[in-house]
Amino acid sequence: MSADRQLLLFQVGARVFAAPAKDVRRVGGSLLEHPDDGVPDTALGRPWEARRGLVVDPGDGSERTVLVDGVLGLRAVAAVQALPAFAREVMATQALCGFALIDEVPTLVVDLPALVRERQRGPSAAGREERNDHG
Amino acid sequence: MAEQKASRRAPARPRRGGAAAARPRAGAKDDATRISEVLRAHAKGDYAKRLDPTSVRDPGLAAVARAVNAAAEQAKVRNHEMAARMDTVRVGVDEAIDAMVKLVVQGDLTGTLRLAVNDAALTPLIAGVGQVMETLKRFVKEIREAAIQLSASSAEVLAAATQNENSTAQQATAVHETTATMEELKGASQQIAENAQTVATIASETLSATHQGEQAIRAFMEAMEKVRRNAVEVDEAISKLSRRVERIGTVVEVIDEIADRSDLLALNAALEGAKAGEAGRGFSIVAQEMRRLAENVMESTREIKNLIGEIREATHAAKEASDGNKRMAADGERLGGAAMASVSGILTGAQGTSDAARVIHLATQQQRSATEQVVQSMAEIEDVTREAQAGSRQATGAAAGLAGLAERLAALVQRFRAE
Repeated sequence: MSADRQLLLFQVGARVFAAPAKDVRRVGGSLLEHPDDGVPDTALGRPWEARRGLVVDPGDGSERTVLVDGVLGLRAVAAVQALPAFAREVMATQALCGFALIDEVPTLVVDLPALVRERQRGPSAAGREERNDHG
Repeated sequence: MAEQKASRRAPARPRRGGAAAARPRAGAKDDATRISEVLRAHAKGDYAKRLDPTSVRDPGLAAVARAVNAAAEQAKVRNHEMAARMDTVRVGVDEAIDAMVKLVVQGDLTGTLRLAVNDAALTPLIAGVGQVMETLKRFVKEIREAAIQLSASSAEVLAAATQNENSTAQQATAVHETTATMEELKGASQQIAENAQTVATIASETLSATHQGEQAIRAFMEAMEKVRRNAVEVDEAISKLSRRVERIGTVVEVIDEIADRSDLLALNAALEGAKAGEAGRGFSIVAQEMRRLAENVMESTREIKNLIGEIREATHAAKEASDGNKRMAADGERLGGAAMASVSGILTGAQGTSDAARVIHLATQQQRSATEQVVQSMAEIEDVTREAQAGSRQATGAAAGLAGLAERLAALVQRFRAE
């Protein structure tokens, strides 16, 4: 199966999300390891413990780490279903690729680079304050 | 008298017939015999017998006969005189006796004895009677004075005896009341002695119980000391255990960190394998296994951490329990010390009470004995007092009798007039 169909499952708070494996450069440690590039608060929510970090390229060649509570592993799916527009509106984010049935449970597939860019564009000052708080 | 003596020397033969002169007989022998007979009659008091001297042939005997006749005649005269004198003396004596009787009956000692007859022989009698009267007079005076003194003295004796009887009666009453009081005191002393015995027994038992209490407190304090030492040992063991648990926790943290790193490594390996596609499939499988191993390790470390947490809670609870035990042991030791101090004070007091109770018991025993002796003595005194009271009554009666006798004596003496 190709890498496009490989999804990385991760958990933010009580919810499980998925992201294409190709969007993740590597899996990192906790927030303490990413004091400068950590993105703790996104549209997916605020993690409880931020024990893992998903290192992604937001598109400008840099690396940003999306802090999550845990990485559950990789899953191969046959296809990623499209997500209706209202779902994106409900989640208040445009960084959702769609959803996939994993263990017969619909799981949202997140575009992590888009999520990071959205975070950067959105309340950038809040993002900086968050970095300062965590720093 | 000489004639009487002579007549006695020659006893005369009794002759038949009366007091006629002897018939002349022939012979000197007959003359002597007749003279003897006359003398014999004179010796018997028959001075009427005479002998005719002319009938006596012997001149010597005739002289004797004449002498005999003369002696007889003189004796007769003398006898007559004596008889008259005797009569006079008898009359005088009778008068003296009558006078003395009258003196005794009438009691008049003022006069002197004067007799109607006078005789020299009565002079001693008169003198004697006078002396008797004087003596009686003096005697009466002395007796009167003595009677007066005796009456006064007997009155005083009677008064004193009456006073003594009253005093004796009062004394007997007082002694009786005192005896009754002493009997009550004896009963009270006996009760006190019994109570003192009971108190002494209770004090002794209290002392014994206090000693036992002291020993119990000592044992308690020793137990508290043991508890405190045990608590310290437990505390030290808990501290050691906590330190080792912390070390275990540190090791587990390291293991957990290693497992986490391993998991992270496995994740990245799987991620790279997924990105490699089919070429990375084997790598993905190895990474998956490695991740599973890391998850197992992490699971185990989580369990160990849970156990460590439980151990920490248990040791914390044990530490708190041990601290509580130490505090309780300290409180127990403090309370035991206070109790020991109190018991020591009680023990001192109980010892003092026991000693005092024993002394009181002995003293009450002695008091009871002394009281019994006093009661016995009082009973004897009461007997003596009763005897004295009886004696006083007798003395009073005797004094009254003596006073009565004195009065009678005075009354008797009053009959005699001495002046």
